[in-house]
Amino acid sequence: MTFAQVVINSIVRASELTLLSLGLTIVYDILKFANFAHTEFAVVGVYLALFLNVTLGLHIVPAAIIASFATGAFSIVVDRAVFKKMRSSTGIIIMVTSLGLGIALRNGVRAIWGADAQNYTVALQKPIITEYFRITPLQIWIILVGLAAMLAFHFLLHHTTLGKAMRASSDNPELAQASAIDTEKIITWVWFIAITFASLGGILIGLETYILPYMGFAIIVPVFCATILGGIGNPYGAMLGAMVLGFAENFGLYINFGNIINLGGILGFSKELFIPTGYKPAISFVILILVLLIRPRGILGRKKEG
Amino acid sequence: MGLVNFLVYLAIMMGIYGILSLSLNLQYGFTGLANFGQVAFFCLGAYVSTIVVLVFKMPFIFGLLGGMVVAGLFGYVISIPTANLKEDYWAIATLAAAEIVRIFFLNEDWVVGGGPYQGGSFGIGGIPQPLRSLFSAYTYPFFYLAIVLVCLLGAYIVINTLTRSPFGRVIKSIRAGDNLPQALGKDVKTFRIKVMAIGGSFGGLAGCLWAHFHGFISPNQFLPLETFIIWAMVIVGGKANNRGAILGAVIILIFYNSTRFLKDFIPIEEVTLASLRMVAIGILIVVAMLFMKEGLIKEKKTLY
Repeated sequence: MTFAQVVINSIVRASELTLLSLGLTIVYDILKFANFAHTEFAVVGVYLALFLNVTLGLHIVPAAIIASFATGAFSIVVDRAVFKKMRSSTGIIIMVTSLGLGIALRNGVRAIWGADAQNYTVALQKPIITEYFRITPLQIWIILVGLAAMLAFHFLLHHTTLGKAMRASSDNPELAQASAIDTEKIITWVWFIAITFASLGGILIGLETYILPYMGFAIIVPVFCATILGGIGNPYGAMLGAMVLGFAENFGLYINFGNIINLGGILGFSKELFIPTGYKPAISFVILILVLLIRPRGILGRKKEG
Repeated sequence: MGLVNFLVYLAIMMGIYGILSLSLNLQYGFTGLANFGQVAFFCLGAYVSTIVVLVFKMPFIFGLLGGMVVAGLFGYVISIPTANLKEDYWAIATLAAAEIVRIFFLNEDWVVGGGPYQGGSFGIGGIPQPLRSLFSAYTYPFFYLAIVLVCLLGAYIVINTLTRSPFGRVIKSIRAGDNLPQALGKDVKTFRIKVMAIGGSFGGLAGCLWAHFHGFISPNQFLPLETFIIWAMVIVGGKANNRGAILGAVIILIFYNSTRFLKDFIPIEEVTLASLRMVAIGILIVVAMLFMKEGLIKEKKTLY
C-alpha cells in the first residue's frame, strides 16, 4: 500500500468518525452524560435506510436522508420516554440507563432484520485509479459529507440563535435558564442533530463496508476515543480527535516500527516490525487508555472542576 | 438432558454468575466504579487457569489461585491510569481494556501451548475437570456444584466482611463523591485501585470455575455482552447489597434459561429469540434505573 493510499484511507475513516463523534460530544456537553446508546441509534438509522433502500426500492441518497431524520426524531421520542425523567440524576445513573437502552436497540434491530451481513442496493461505481492510489466515488462522497458536517456545525454554533443558546447552556445551565433560554427545547434539538448526524455516519460506514446489527458496538470505542482525545464536550475537539484517530488506525498498521526502534539505522536492529492486522481494533483502545493516562481532558479540553 | 441435570447445571451457573455479580457489586454498588469491562476478569481467570492446568500440568487449585492473582493484577494495572478520573472515563476505559484482553487471546494462539486448531479463534478444549475420575458422569455435576457453592460462600463472606469493615465505609463515601473521603485524609485513588484488584480477582475465580466446568473456552465466549448481563444482575438484584447481587444473578439466569423453552411453544427462530431475550434484558435495565433504583433488595443504611 502506498503512502498516498494510507492518507486517503485515513481521511475517509476520519470523516466517518467525525459524524459520529460530533453528536456524542454535544449530547455530553448539554446533558452531561456519556451516551452508550449513541452508536446504537446510528444502527437504527442504518437499518431504516436499508428498509427504504432495499425493501421499498428508494434511491440510496433520499433513503439515507429520510432515515437519518427519522432516527433523529426517534431519539427525541426516546429522550421524552426515558431520559427526561432522569434530568436530575447523576451522570452514572443516566449512563447505565443508556447502556441498557443500547442493548435493547441493538438486539431489537437484530430481531427484526436478522444477524446476517447485508448491503445497500447501489449501482457499481468505477474507482479512480492512479499510479499512487485508488479512490471510489463513494469515498469522495464520504469525505465531502464529513467536511460539510464540520462546516454545518461551525455555522450552527456561531451563527445561529440555537448555537448561542447551546453554548450558553453548556457553560452555565442555571444562568442560561435565568436568561429565558428554554433548556428543554435545546435538549430536543441537540438530540435531533446529534442522532441525525450519527445515523448518517453509520449509513456511510454501511455503504463502504457492510451492514451488521453489531456494527454500532464495533465503533463505540473508536467514537468515544475520538471524542475524548479531542476533549469531550468540545465539537472542534471531536473533529480533531476523529482526524487523529483516523490517521492513527491506518498508519499504525503501515509504519514499520522496526525502523523506529532502530533509530534510522543506528542500533543495527534490522527486523521488520509491524502491528499485526488482527490488532487493528486494539489501536484505538490503546490510544484511548494512553490519552486517559497522559491528558484525560483531551487535546482541546478545558480544565474543569470535579 | 434430564430435569435434575438441567437444574444442577443451572445452579452451577447461578453460583458462577453470583460470584461475578458480587464482584461487580463491590466495584459499582459500593464504590460507584462504572466497570464496563467485568468480562475481562472472567476471561483472564478462565484462560490463566486453563494454561496453568493444561500447559504447565499443575493441579486445579494452582489454576484457581493463578487465575485469581492474574485477574487481580489486571484490575490493579488498569485502574492506575483511570483511578483519578470521572465515572464516564472509567466506563469506556474498562470496556476498552476488556476488548484488548479478548483480542489478545484471539490473536495469540501460542499462549495455550500451540498445536493445530488450538488457541486463537479455535478456542481450547480438553480442560480437565478437578477430581473427575472419582465420580461417575451422573454424580460429578453435584460435586462440582459443591465446589462452586463453597467458592460463592467464600466470596460472599470476604466481600461482606470487607464492606462492613472501615474499608467498606471509606469506599461507600467515595461513591458519594471524592470530597468527603479526601477531607478525612483518605487516598481515594488507592482505595479505587484496591477495589478493582479485589473485585477483579473474584471475577477471575468465576472464570476458572467456568472454564473447568465446560472444559472448553474460546474468545467468543467473553464478548462485552457478558458484562452487561452481569450489570443487569447487580441492578435488578439491588446494588450495594450482597444478597441482592446473588438474587439478581438467580433471577436473570432463570429468565435467561427459561425463555429457551419458549421456542417449543411458539414458532420463533433461535436467533430472533436470542435477540428478543437481550431486548428484554436491556429494557429491564432501563426500567430498573427509572422506577426501582435500589433494586429488589435495598441497601442496608447503617448509622455510625
